[in-house]
Amino acid sequence: MVSGGALGGLARGVSSSVWGIGSAAVGSGFFSSRRALQVENETLKQELSRLEAEAVGFEALESENRELRGIVHIAEDVSGITAPIISSVRSSPYGTFIVGAGSADGISAGSVVMADGQRGFVIGQIAEVGEHSSLVEEIFAPGASAEGSVGGAELIFEGQGGGNARAEAPRAISIAEGDSVTSAMFGGRLIGVVGAVPADSASAYKSIYVRTPVSLSELQFVYVVPRFQ
Amino acid sequence: MWYRVSNSIRPLLATLGFFGAIVAPPSVPLLAMVLLSFRFAAWEIPAIGLFVDLMWLAPSGVDGTFSLPLFTLAGVVLVWGLEPLRSEFLMR
Repeated sequence: MVSGGALGGLARGVSSSVWGIGSAAVGSGFFSSRRALQVENETLKQELSRLEAEAVGFEALESENRELRGIVHIAEDVSGITAPIISSVRSSPYGTFIVGAGSADGISAGSVVMADGQRGFVIGQIAEVGEHSSLVEEIFAPGASAEGSVGGAELIFEGQGGGNARAEAPRAISIAEGDSVTSAMFGGRLIGVVGAVPADSASAYKSIYVRTPVSLSELQFVYVVPRFQ
Repeated sequence: MWYRVSNSIRPLLATLGFFGAIVAPPSVPLLAMVLLSFRFAAWEIPAIGLFVDLMWLAPSGVDGTFSLPLFTLAGVVLVWGLEPLRSEFLMR
């Protein structure tokens, strides 16, 4: 006959197996209540939202850091102050925008506003000064004109708004896409690059379309030089 | 019914005009001014224009040129210039 000890061992073996399966099932959360799962789900969602917000914050900081590093190049050459752009650059019908620095920071009307880049380029001038904010008029504001030099020729650039300008040059002058436009008005600094030179063989002059090297709407900071050096 | 809708459109368009002057492209406050002028001889129209000019217009350009306050002028034209049309076609 079967001994009680053998049966007992078999029973204990089955029992331990069942307990093992049971504890594994409980440990896996299979039998967690619906309420507990909802709570956990909510907690995880909140954690995810927090991490996403943090990631966005880090991206903003990274972008700000990159832009400020670009401005450092300009600050090595000329002394001025870094100012944040505190308005939209697309809202103005007159090619103006507002920066968060004013007379309290040593800025006066006519100060030159520059943006980052390898050499730094001029994007406008201070038109009106408040105590802690100033109105900047873009160098290529609609209706504004600026003297500039490209391909060895001195030309007048008529602003078209949105960081674009147009000039007429004699056809004999060699100007190509990507050429730099500098201005003696701003110490020979870069004011734009040639974007297009449409060919028109019938005319003695050719139109030159110039744009600022970066999109103004991407800028967060500018560098204001109180007195151009 | 229409009168009630018409009356609620006016503050909505005015808000759109003032708010758009700050954050939106210039076409938005201009559109609000034009839409307002179709139905109302509203004081908000030149006020929006004046607001745009006060905020964005440089008193004189950096190159010394005088800039016209185009939005204020547009507001004045829309309010008083369109008045004969409004009085002709709108029921008072």
